[in-house]
Amino acid sequence: MQLSEISTLMEKAVGEAGAAPDAAGLESVRIQYLGRNGMVQAIMQALKDAPPEQRKDYGQAANQFKQAVQAAIDARRAELDNQPAAPAAGFDYTLPGSWPGSGRKHPITHIIDRSIEIFRGIGFVVAEGPDIEDEFHNFDALNTPKIHPSRDPQDTFYLASGHLLRTHTSPVQIRYMEQHPPPVRVIAPGRAYRRDTTDATHSASFHQIEGLYVDRKVSLANLKADVGYYLSRLMEREVEIRMRPHFFPFTEPSVELDFSCHVCGGKGCRVCKNSGWIEIAGAGMVDPNVFKAAGYDPEAVTGYAFGLGVERLAMILYGIPDIRLLYENDQRFLNQF
Amino acid sequence: MKVPLSWLNDYITLAAPAADIARRLTFSGMELEGLTTLGASADGIIVAEVRAVEKHPQADKLSVCRVFDGQNEVQVVCGAPNVAAGGKYPFAPIGAVLLGGELKIKKAKLRGVESFGMLCSAAELGLSDDHSGLMTLDPSAVPGVPMAELLGPPDSVLELEITPNRPDCLSMIGVARELSALYGTPLRKPDPEVTETGGDAAAEITVEVEQRSDCPRYTARILHQVRVGPSPAWMKDRLEKAGIRSINNVVDITNYVLLETGHPLHAFDACRLQGGKIQVRRAQPGERLTTLDGIERELDPNMLVIADAEKPVALAGVMGGAGSEIQDDTTDILLESATFDPALVRYASRSFQLFTDSSYRFERGVNAETVEWASRRAAQLLIELAGASLARGVVDIRTPPAPLRRITLRLDRVRTLLGLQLPDKQIIAILRSIELTAGEPDNGVGDVVIPDFRFDLEREVDLIEEVARLHGLEHIPPAPSATPPIPGADDTPVKQVAALRDACVDFGLQEIVTYSLVAESLLNGFDPDDAPRRIALPRPVTVDQAILRTALTPQIVETLGRNRARQVQQAAVFELGKVYHLGASEAPHQETRRLAIGLMGRPAHRGVWQRKPPTREEMFDWIKGLWERLAGRQRLPEWSLAPDRIPFLETGYGFRLSIEGRACGWIGLIAPGPRKEWRLHDPIAVLEVDAAPLCHRPPPRITYQPIPAYPSVGRDVAVIADAALTHETLVATMQKSGPPELENIQLFDIFMGEAVGTGKRSLAYALTYRSANRTLTDDEVNGYHETIKTTLKKELNVEIREG
Repeated sequence: MQLSEISTLMEKAVGEAGAAPDAAGLESVRIQYLGRNGMVQAIMQALKDAPPEQRKDYGQAANQFKQAVQAAIDARRAELDNQPAAPAAGFDYTLPGSWPGSGRKHPITHIIDRSIEIFRGIGFVVAEGPDIEDEFHNFDALNTPKIHPSRDPQDTFYLASGHLLRTHTSPVQIRYMEQHPPPVRVIAPGRAYRRDTTDATHSASFHQIEGLYVDRKVSLANLKADVGYYLSRLMEREVEIRMRPHFFPFTEPSVELDFSCHVCGGKGCRVCKNSGWIEIAGAGMVDPNVFKAAGYDPEAVTGYAFGLGVERLAMILYGIPDIRLLYENDQRFLNQF
Repeated sequence: MKVPLSWLNDYITLAAPAADIARRLTFSGMELEGLTTLGASADGIIVAEVRAVEKHPQADKLSVCRVFDGQNEVQVVCGAPNVAAGGKYPFAPIGAVLLGGELKIKKAKLRGVESFGMLCSAAELGLSDDHSGLMTLDPSAVPGVPMAELLGPPDSVLELEITPNRPDCLSMIGVARELSALYGTPLRKPDPEVTETGGDAAAEITVEVEQRSDCPRYTARILHQVRVGPSPAWMKDRLEKAGIRSINNVVDITNYVLLETGHPLHAFDACRLQGGKIQVRRAQPGERLTTLDGIERELDPNMLVIADAEKPVALAGVMGGAGSEIQDDTTDILLESATFDPALVRYASRSFQLFTDSSYRFERGVNAETVEWASRRAAQLLIELAGASLARGVVDIRTPPAPLRRITLRLDRVRTLLGLQLPDKQIIAILRSIELTAGEPDNGVGDVVIPDFRFDLEREVDLIEEVARLHGLEHIPPAPSATPPIPGADDTPVKQVAALRDACVDFGLQEIVTYSLVAESLLNGFDPDDAPRRIALPRPVTVDQAILRTALTPQIVETLGRNRARQVQQAAVFELGKVYHLGASEAPHQETRRLAIGLMGRPAHRGVWQRKPPTREEMFDWIKGLWERLAGRQRLPEWSLAPDRIPFLETGYGFRLSIEGRACGWIGLIAPGPRKEWRLHDPIAVLEVDAAPLCHRPPPRITYQPIPAYPSVGRDVAVIADAALTHETLVATMQKSGPPELENIQLFDIFMGEAVGTGKRSLAYALTYRSANRTLTDDEVNGYHETIKTTLKKELNVEIREG
C-alpha cells in the first residue's frame, strides 16, 4: 500500500463516518476501518512491509489515519447522540391506537345512582318493591278513597288477575314499614306506570324515586331541609326549596316542592320558563291512616315522604328536550353521559 | 275553574292586584293555571281602519299607512308584519297614554317619514303577551269608537286548579271565602229573600226518594209564568268569562247559581213531567233516556235517575233529559236542588264518558245543608230576570242533618309536625279565619267545631294542614334531620345489583333502558310459544305497549337494529331489568330481574377499522369472553353451556346457559329471521341470564394464599384430533391424568388445514407444573407430561405432534 493510498483511504473513512445515518451505521464504519479485521490492519501490514527508510513516514501516516478516523467517528457519534430519537422506519406512531372499549351507564341510572349516593350520605338505605302490585299496597293502604280518580281504569293499568301496575313507587313505603319497625329511612327507586299517551313529556312507564323517613319527631321542616340538601348536591349548586300546599291522599299536609333554578339561580331563564323555580316533587307528612295500614302507631311517630320523577330530573339536569330520547337508546345519545 | 275577579267583588272587597291574589291562592293550595287580562285601561285608544298601506321608502320592515280614525285620515308609520289595507286595529292617536303611563304617543319622524300616532298590538294594550303583530279587530268595529267601549271594563280571570279534597272551593263564594281568610277581609254571602205567591208547591208535585242513601236531600220549587228569553248582558258576560255558553235566561240562571254557590241545579219544564210526581230511583234494566245532548242511552240499575210518574227524565247529578228540557215556550218550572251519592254520579258519568260541571261537583261532594239556600238564590233570579212567580214552600225530602264534627287539636302536635314554633294564639286565630269555631285552648288542647261545608276536615292532622297552608309554608324553616344510622337497615341486595351493573360497564358495555311494556308482535317475532305465560294489559294505551316483556333479548335486538338503521356500526349494550310472567297458582305473577347483553359489529376496538364483517365464530368468541369474565368477577362457582334449540337463536349457535345445574338463560347468535326483521345483516351475539345468581351471593370470604415460592416448569403438548373433539374434553382429560402439580393449561394455537388432514384439527397447549414446597426436577416433570400424553392418545385417540 502506497502512502498516498493511506491518505485517500483516510479521506474516504472520515467522509463515511461523517455521513453515517445512525449509531449502527457509524459502528459499521468503525469496524470497517479501525476494527480487528479492518483496514487499519492492512495499513499496519504495509508499515511492517515498508523499507526501513520509509518506516517513519508510514508510522506517521498510520497514526494519523487512526487518529483522524477515530476523531471523525467520535465527532459523528456526538452529533448523533444530540439528534432527537427518531422512530424506526415503518413504525408510524401517528396511526390511531386500540382501546379496550368504554362502557357507560344510562342517564336514568346515573340519576338514580347519584340520588342513592346523596341520600346514603344522610343515612338513607335503598328499598325495592314489585312493579305488579295489589290494590291494597298501591291504593288502600295509601289512604286513597275507593272512588278516587287515580283508581280509574282510565288512568291505571289493571291486570286480568285484579292486580295492577303500580302507579307510583309509594307502595314500597307500605311494604318496607310492614317489614321493619320504626325508625325507617329509605329511598325506593323503580318503575311506575300510568295510562298516559306518550309525548315529549309523558310516558306510560317511567321511573320514580320514593323517599320515606319515619321517626319520633320528624317534621315538615326536616323535609324542606333534606330535599334541599339532596337537590343542591344533585344540581351541583346551592338551591332553595319552596313548598306549595297540595293534596295527596297519603300525606297530610301535602305539598309540592319547587327548587330555585339551578341554571339562573332564580333570576329567571329559559329552563325555568322565567319563573326562577322548577317544580320537582310531590311530598308531605305521612298520613296517620297510612301508618295504621302499615301497622305503625300514628301517635308514636311522624314521618315525611316524597316522590321524585327520574326522567324529569334527567331532562332538567341534562337539558333533554324529549322524554322519548331516554328510551330510544341511540348510541350517539347514550355516549354523551 | 275560571274565576273572574269582577264576580268575586260581589262577595269580597279586594284592593290587591290580580297577580297578588293569584300568588296568595297558589301558596295556600289553589294553584294558578292561567291569568287572563280582559278589557284594558285603554284611555284615548280608538278603533281605526287602515285604508292604504305602502312600503316605507327607507326601511324594508316599515309600512306607511293611511289611517281613518272616524273623522280624518292620518299618516302612520307601522312596523307590524300583519298590517293590511282594509283591516281594523286599535289606534293610539297623538296624546294617548299606553302601558300605564310608560308610553306617551307623540308626533314622530321614522326614517324621515312623519307618523301621527300608533297602531297597537294586544301586548301594548296590556291584554296579552302577544307582541307578534297588531291586534286585529272584528270587521264590524266602527272607526272612532273608543276601545274601552269595545273591550268592556278591565277584568282579570284566574284559572285555578282546585284539588279534589276541596269541593267547597268549586264556586265563586268558595274562592271568596278562602280569600277572606287570606286577606282578613269580611265575606258577603247573599241571603236571598223571595216572595212566594200562588198555591203550594207540595200540592203540585210529590217527591219520592226510593233509597235515602242514594239521595240524602232533594228539594223542589215550582215556578209559574216564566218567560224564557235571553239573559241580561251582565250575566252573559260573567258566564262567558267563566267558560260557559249562554243558552237562555232559565238555563243560564241554574248555571250561574252553580258557579256562584257550587250547587248544581236543574230546571225541568214542569208541563212535560207526567203525573205531578218526581221519583228518585235506580234505573230499571234496559230502561232508556235521551239526554240533553240528544244521545239515547241505555241505563242500568247502578245508575240513579230522576223519573216522573212514567219514565226517567234526568240522569241524576249528570245531565237532564231532552224530554223535559226548557224550551222557548216553557212557562212552568220545577227547580231541583239536591245531593246524590258521589259514587253513583261517578259511575254514571264514567259509564257514558259524560263529564259535566254538575257531575264534577257531585262526585266531589255537595253540602246538603245549603241545598235549599242555592235553590232560593235561583228562585230569586228567576223572579227578577224571567218574571217568574214562585209557588209557596219548598218540597224538601232529606235525611236529618248530622251534628257538626268536633276535632280535638293538640297545639304541640302542630308545632312538632310542622317543625315550626307557632304560638297557641296564632294557631287558634288561623282556624277561626276559615270559619272554624275554636274556643280558648285548655291545657294545650283545643276543641274545634267544623262547619258543614268542610267535609275534608276530619282529623287533627287535617287541621294542622290548614294551619300550615294559611300561615304560609315559606315560613317553615329548613331543619336538617338528625342522621344517626338506623340499626338493622341494610340494602346489600341493591348494592349487589349495582355491582353487577358496574361490572358490565367496566367490561366496556353501554347500558340501555327500554320500556317494560312491549308489543305482542315483538315477542311473537322471537318466541311465539311463550304466549301462554305473558301478562297482557286488558286495556293498553297503544299496541306498542300492550304486554309486559317476558325477555330482554327482543328489545336488545330492537335497539341494535334501531342504531344500525341510524348508521351506527358497532355497539355493545346491556340491560339490567325485570321480565314478567304469569306465575303458578300461589303467586299469579312473577317478576325476575335479568341481565341481557347484545353485540353488533367488530369484537375488538381497533384503531384501524376492519371493514370485513365479523364471522359467526368471532361474534360467539366475543360474547363468550364477556360472559366468562363476568362469571369470574361475580364469583360464579359453576356454570355450563349446552347446545339447545332456542327459537330466536341460530341453529347450532344457540346454547342453554345453566348455573349450578339450573337452566337460567341463553347465549348465542340471533337467528336470521328476527335479525333480518331489523335489517341486521351481520351476526348479532346475545346473552340473557337471571341476574339473581350473579348478584345475590354471600360476600366472598377471602383467605390469603401464599405467593408461589418455587419456580414453575413449562411443557407444551400439541395434538391432532378429530375436529369434533372439544377443547373442554381435552382439558378435562389432561386435568384428570395430570398430577396435583399441574397448575395451568393454556391453549396457544389452533389450526385446521391440509397439513393436519381433512376433518382434523391441531390444538397446542402450554402446561405449567409447580410444586408448593420444592423445586421440581426435569425428570419428574417429564414423567408427569408423558403420562398425560399417553392418556390423551389412549382415551381420546389423538395424535401427539412431536418437535
